[in-house]
Amino acid sequence: MNLRCKMPPVFAGILIGIVMLLAFVIAGRGIGTSGAMTRIIAVIQNTLAPGLTQASDYFSRYFAHGQNPLDNWLLYLFAGLLLGSFVASLMCRDLRFEVLKGPNASVLKRLLLAMLGGFLIGFAARLARGCTSGLALVGGAELAVGAWVFMLCVFAGGYAAAWFVRKQWL
Amino acid sequence: MMAPFAKTGLISEALNLWLAVPIGFLFGFALHHAGFTDGRKIARVFYFRDVDVPVVMFTAIATAMLGLWGLSLIGFIDTAQFYFLPTFLAPVAIGGLLFGVGMVVGGYCPGTAAASMATGKVDPLFFIVGFFAGSLVFGDLYPVWGDFYKSDYRGVWRLDQLFGLGLGVTVLIMVLIAIGGSLFMRMVQRLAWPGTFVPVTGATLKVQIILIIAAVVLASALAFYPTSDFLPAEYADSEFYIVPKASINTPAIGQ
Repeated sequence: MNLRCKMPPVFAGILIGIVMLLAFVIAGRGIGTSGAMTRIIAVIQNTLAPGLTQASDYFSRYFAHGQNPLDNWLLYLFAGLLLGSFVASLMCRDLRFEVLKGPNASVLKRLLLAMLGGFLIGFAARLARGCTSGLALVGGAELAVGAWVFMLCVFAGGYAAAWFVRKQWL
Repeated sequence: MMAPFAKTGLISEALNLWLAVPIGFLFGFALHHAGFTDGRKIARVFYFRDVDVPVVMFTAIATAMLGLWGLSLIGFIDTAQFYFLPTFLAPVAIGGLLFGVGMVVGGYCPGTAAASMATGKVDPLFFIVGFFAGSLVFGDLYPVWGDFYKSDYRGVWRLDQLFGLGLGVTVLIMVLIAIGGSLFMRMVQRLAWPGTFVPVTGATLKVQIILIIAAVVLASALAFYPTSDFLPAEYADSEFYIVPKASINTPAIGQ
């Protein structure tokens, strides 16, 4: 990481807080990422295996009344998110094709664990109705009890499991 | 009341969609500058080796919280037209535990994985493939956990209602928790990993102290200012002021 591009955490936090506030004031809703990603995979599945999507009560509502699930505020936000971090890494000159891993982990192990973690989070984000951005941060600001319970549980789960994967990171 | 712009008709629905792009841009930009496009940095919080993740989260929440409720108090934003997240208590707790395990195993959450992928990294790409699979399992086998998913519905349930306190007082408490929590996490990191701890110094420290004081002053204003004086007379007892909104009906499936 280029030191010039390292923002002190409090300033980065305020910037993210302002992002949330802009969404509140302009759109009257919170930011969120997992919803956009679930809509993307729902469209992919609907293209490859439409029968599965139609059979699912959960996915079929995205397509109700001929709607396109991608024509959604969250997807526009998601496109901006990808663009924003891409431009930031260009400016910071750390746009690089690489695998980030701990000093003692093999590349294969890192990629497999990344996929396993992604699988757990893909499921968990649907069960909890949101992720770190759309539930923890936004709900946290809205004073939603569910968001604060979510945050406590995320950190409880993370600290409980940390010992088992310590060799991956330390 | 002018805001939310998309709900009060100040801007069109199409413009609202397009304005989400620059908002997202700023979000991705901030995530990269916070260092959150590196999964190692996120995972290290679970070993207290780098506690920037909770510090950034606490700061972001405190900023948006003061903004949202402050703007509601002065009558700029109409919270009655606002989409508030409903609480399904048991699903959110079990989902949170699984989510935390996934975070330390995978090193990312959905937003940081997407942002990291856009900076060319390969491990978040595998994370996202896993995320897609997890989402599909949830959606395609929905009947298996659908009943649990819809259980324990508490409506739009806020901390001030849980505590039985005023909303402004609750904001003050949560801002103090955010500041205290950030300092506590920094202290633990310093004790656990003295070699990696970088103290905040110089101008950054001064600016941070000023910001903390400003946040506490603002939150105290929300907590202790007689709110009726804060509002124009015709709004004094209208619905939009930060009243309990637990009665808002939300669909069982949510977003």
